[in-house]
Amino acid sequence: MNTKTLKVVNQPVAKMDALGLACGEPAFTDDVDLKGLLCGKILWSPHAHAEIKKIDVSEALKVPGVKAVLTYKDLPRVPHTTAGQGYPEPSPYDTYTLDNKVRFVGDRVAAVAAETPEAAHEALAKIKVEYKQLPAVFDTFEAMKDGAPAIHDEPDSKNIPDAKHNIAAKFDFEVRNGDWFKEADFVLEHSWKIPYLQHCAIEPHVTIASFDHFGRLVLRTSTQVPFHVRRIVAQALKIPVKKIRVIKPRIGGGFGSKQEVLLEDITAALALKTGRPVKIEYTRRETFVSSRTRHPSTVRMKAGVKKDGTITDAEMEITLNTGAYGSHALTVMMCSGSHTLPFYKVKNNIRFIGRSVYTNMPVAGAYRGYGATQGFFAWESLMDMMAEKIGMDPVEFRRMNYIRLGEGSPVFKAMGEGREGVEQVITSTGLLEAIDKGLAEIKWTQKTVKYRNQSGPIRRGLGMACMMQGSGIPEVDMAAATLKMNEDGSFNLLIGAADLGTGSDTILAQIAAEVLGIKTDDIIVYSSDTDVTPFDVGAYASSTTFISGGAVKKAAEKVREMIIEVAAKILDEKKENLRLEGGKAVSKNGASCSLSEVANTSLYYYDQHQITASASHFAHTSPPPFQANFVEVEVDTETGKVKILDYVSCVDCGTAINPQLAEGQNDGAVLNGISHTLSEEMEFSSNGTPLNASFRRYKIFSAADTPPVRTFIIPSWEPNGPFGAKSVSEIGINGPLPAVANAIYNACGVRLCDAPFTPEKVLAAIKKKD
Amino acid sequence: MTHIKYYAFPQTVNEALALLLNKKYKAMAVAGGTLVAKTLPDTVETYLDLKNLPIKGIKISGGNLIIGAGASFDEIDHSKLCRSWAGGVVSSAAAKCSSQLIRNMATIGGNVARPHSFNIFPVVLLGLDARVKVVSKAGAKTVDFAGLYAPGFGLKPGMECIITEIIIPAKTKKWRCEFIKLAKTESSWESYITLFFAAQKEGKTITQARVAVGALSPKPFRASAAEKAFLSGGAHNAATAFAMELDSARAGEYRSVAAANLLKRFIKGLV
Amino acid sequence: MKKNNILEVKNGVFEITLTINGEKLVLSTKNGESLLDALRRWGLKGVKKGCDTGDCGSCTVIVNGTPVLGCLVPAVAAHDGDIITIEGLGTVQKPHPIQKAFVEAGAVQCGFCIPGMILSSKHLLDRMPNPSEAEIRKALDGNLCRCTGYVKQIEAVKMAAKRLR
Repeated sequence: MNTKTLKVVNQPVAKMDALGLACGEPAFTDDVDLKGLLCGKILWSPHAHAEIKKIDVSEALKVPGVKAVLTYKDLPRVPHTTAGQGYPEPSPYDTYTLDNKVRFVGDRVAAVAAETPEAAHEALAKIKVEYKQLPAVFDTFEAMKDGAPAIHDEPDSKNIPDAKHNIAAKFDFEVRNGDWFKEADFVLEHSWKIPYLQHCAIEPHVTIASFDHFGRLVLRTSTQVPFHVRRIVAQALKIPVKKIRVIKPRIGGGFGSKQEVLLEDITAALALKTGRPVKIEYTRRETFVSSRTRHPSTVRMKAGVKKDGTITDAEMEITLNTGAYGSHALTVMMCSGSHTLPFYKVKNNIRFIGRSVYTNMPVAGAYRGYGATQGFFAWESLMDMMAEKIGMDPVEFRRMNYIRLGEGSPVFKAMGEGREGVEQVITSTGLLEAIDKGLAEIKWTQKTVKYRNQSGPIRRGLGMACMMQGSGIPEVDMAAATLKMNEDGSFNLLIGAADLGTGSDTILAQIAAEVLGIKTDDIIVYSSDTDVTPFDVGAYASSTTFISGGAVKKAAEKVREMIIEVAAKILDEKKENLRLEGGKAVSKNGASCSLSEVANTSLYYYDQHQITASASHFAHTSPPPFQANFVEVEVDTETGKVKILDYVSCVDCGTAINPQLAEGQNDGAVLNGISHTLSEEMEFSSNGTPLNASFRRYKIFSAADTPPVRTFIIPSWEPNGPFGAKSVSEIGINGPLPAVANAIYNACGVRLCDAPFTPEKVLAAIKKKD
Repeated sequence: MTHIKYYAFPQTVNEALALLLNKKYKAMAVAGGTLVAKTLPDTVETYLDLKNLPIKGIKISGGNLIIGAGASFDEIDHSKLCRSWAGGVVSSAAAKCSSQLIRNMATIGGNVARPHSFNIFPVVLLGLDARVKVVSKAGAKTVDFAGLYAPGFGLKPGMECIITEIIIPAKTKKWRCEFIKLAKTESSWESYITLFFAAQKEGKTITQARVAVGALSPKPFRASAAEKAFLSGGAHNAATAFAMELDSARAGEYRSVAAANLLKRFIKGLV
Repeated sequence: MKKNNILEVKNGVFEITLTINGEKLVLSTKNGESLLDALRRWGLKGVKKGCDTGDCGSCTVIVNGTPVLGCLVPAVAAHDGDIITIEGLGTVQKPHPIQKAFVEAGAVQCGFCIPGMILSSKHLLDRMPNPSEAEIRKALDGNLCRCTGYVKQIEAVKMAAKRLR
């Protein structure tokens, strides 16, 4: 199969919401004015670990305009997870909407709702809390020791494997084919570290809770997971699912931080208490401290390699800091191995040892890349180290070992997301072409020669890194779509899939349009609203194109059959002789009728019925997209400044449903990764207080900081995906850390293993080497 | 900000000063308002907005480069006069201030009025022997830039006096200068260190040398030992002296080493 | 001090006169209210709040010809001012060429930073009809975007520049 016959898919159709957004149309959660809206605010813990001995809200309630103050005493105590994952969630149930214990600086203590922000702030200041401070622990390795403070010592939390040692999640597995490292000519071992990193979606988290005229709770919220929000809020507040409606309007970026029930439960609780609409909007500082982060990690890898380039053994031990709660603790940890270890053939032994550890630090969660970022930093750095050790070109070494079409890995079966995985083989790959394209674009060969003999303080170097990700979670993720036909031959496409800025509404419309032989603008897309749109797990795990796209394609195919059925009657023609094309049902003999005639016939004249269909999709495999990244850097060896001169990212995402949007996904992911690599890091005082919780001090790259980023889409055809498509959204973020580390090594002979590679760290490494 | 009773936008310096000195108003002058607008002290009751004062122009007068205190970073960045002065160092320093939107709003006067480690201009003005014109109860006077932050100055800019002009002396017009913001990224607000290097060359001889250091503390300083070694000729000696000075200023190893390397590079680049 | 050069708060409110998107208005602003909060309260939701500390540029509005950070400007300081917000630049029915270019170049992902970025672009193109890529990057460096890597936004500004020349 190929893309040549496609008319709408694989075309750069303009993103359907772009013009409205570019004109400032009020499309986001906070862009509505509700009468009588109260302002909700949360009181945050000033302590890293403390018990609330006494909490007195009487003075707060006296502040004029204050309508409610909630503490743990006012709410049901329901252990749950905030992770917006499929049910039952693989994350421990260790969170309470409000608790009598606080576990990090920035944990919830109480919540208020007031007529004005000023009154809400005044009320917060008047809540009297008596804390009993508890010993706190900030380091994962300290936290696992005997006698460390137990962060989750409450008896009612569930699914914590070892609360005494603060282990929120653990997973070990081994594939054994003989003695470890027996065949290896060289054994290399090293550790890599990633700090606390923030998503930095420019729209802060915001939720508005109100009531419809049936008295049902309506949550308008900035979320990637509307259906999980509905389920988890129902669980946490003990209200029936049918009493909740969740609306996802336009979302100002998520990157994983909005795959979380972060504000919806407490905003809903305030609304239920006051009977009034309530809004809680995080400040930027709150977004940094009290939303979610990437899991800081230490990844130790040890691998054996033969002189001929065979990788004999590979061991990965990952220790993640999940902070005070175990949101995504198990799954991120498992993905750090399951997305990385199968990528290269390992002849004999593979071992994975994973721990996610509680500390009295901000809570980690889902973040674009989802563990693969941490894993590939180690694996792809180690690949370069091994290549150097055996004197092989790093590109050749990778070419020799990466997973080929038709090949599988024992890791796929052994490691899923939070449970056993699914056996699969690679059914599409464009990695070889991606590598070749990247080599040519970065001018690898010429520059490698040119940079061999450099002098002076400014040194240039090249680096590369390859990777794969997944496309949805096999046998876990499910999406559904509904299409319904209108009189003019247009269609409503109702989807639970949560477009959070990615353009999924547009690409899903393209898929439907392709099947129905119409233009994309004849599809009116609505996403997502739990009252109106069918179920979808949401926008995460690189699933939307593959899983939701599969559902849309199926629904469109059903609708196509219904249209042909009616057209066959109109044209007096056999169904098998009809096809849909150019907004018409066309017969082999050239006769045709317009879709609007079909619609009108079905609605008003003959065997009256609404042409509409719903379909669901889930998958038994998760076909990985592949990527080859190449980077040229310049290192000032006298200041430690690293400048990226060129970054080339070649991505095989199967068929790009919309090449322009696919490029945009990758560009953004790459820059986020570059920003991680050279700049970003949350800093903390010795008592766990965040020190740089602002865009001024936690520096994400601006347009002026950004080097040339060049994305190339490498087409392949994935037989299990809609029109050959795989995912594209996450993979690009994983490249910069190892690629830049490899390039710095190539430029000046120092290996950076501790992100970010700040001038200070680079200069220290250079000094250590000399 | 909620304590504000008056919002004033005087048209002349005298009007502004009168308001500032009138006890009734408890006024504080705000220029660009990027750093202070959200953090006015609660005691301030009048927001004295200087935006309409005729103190924005950039001109040459008596051979000196005169920058009106109300000139924004963006105006200075794009000013032909600034771009042609001392190799354009004043403009390129202005361009290194965090972001275009801040550069549109922030002014040079505001940037020097209150000392802050990450302000851009103080280190440049110190190194260029700049003078500052201030207007106070006692009338207008011109002081060395260095004197503005000295304990003896006695007039709080924006509270007791208004800065109206920055005067960059004629002698610096042909100086070879460099401003460096050593930071994680180009548009970082924070920096490890800011450096201003300058040299006046007559033939092959260096007749004037400036090594100024910012970002380590709110007040920039000149590295006198480094300047002395710079004058006596050796890039290596100057760098060594500079590293020692930075070390004793508790700059830490990274800043000391990197800054000394940059000074060495600057001096070598002069030949 | 001339009377008309000073405003006094009454009942916690300043009454100000200003022009927004070509319309002259008399409005009241609460003491301490930022221009960002006031504009949103007055219904101009295209002005976004991303940080409220002057670091992200989502609240960019053009005041008297210059793009500024609406979160740092007290609304009262907009008295006598001429303000252009994204809503004043163009509409879905009649978009400005820069807005069209952003759509066509694929520069809009989540769209939250886009109004600010377009206003910064407008100011750039007003004064520099043929900017270099470095000049575009510099002019947009106050408008943070986490979605796009700025790649297609820079293409969009180049595209718009060409069309506007």
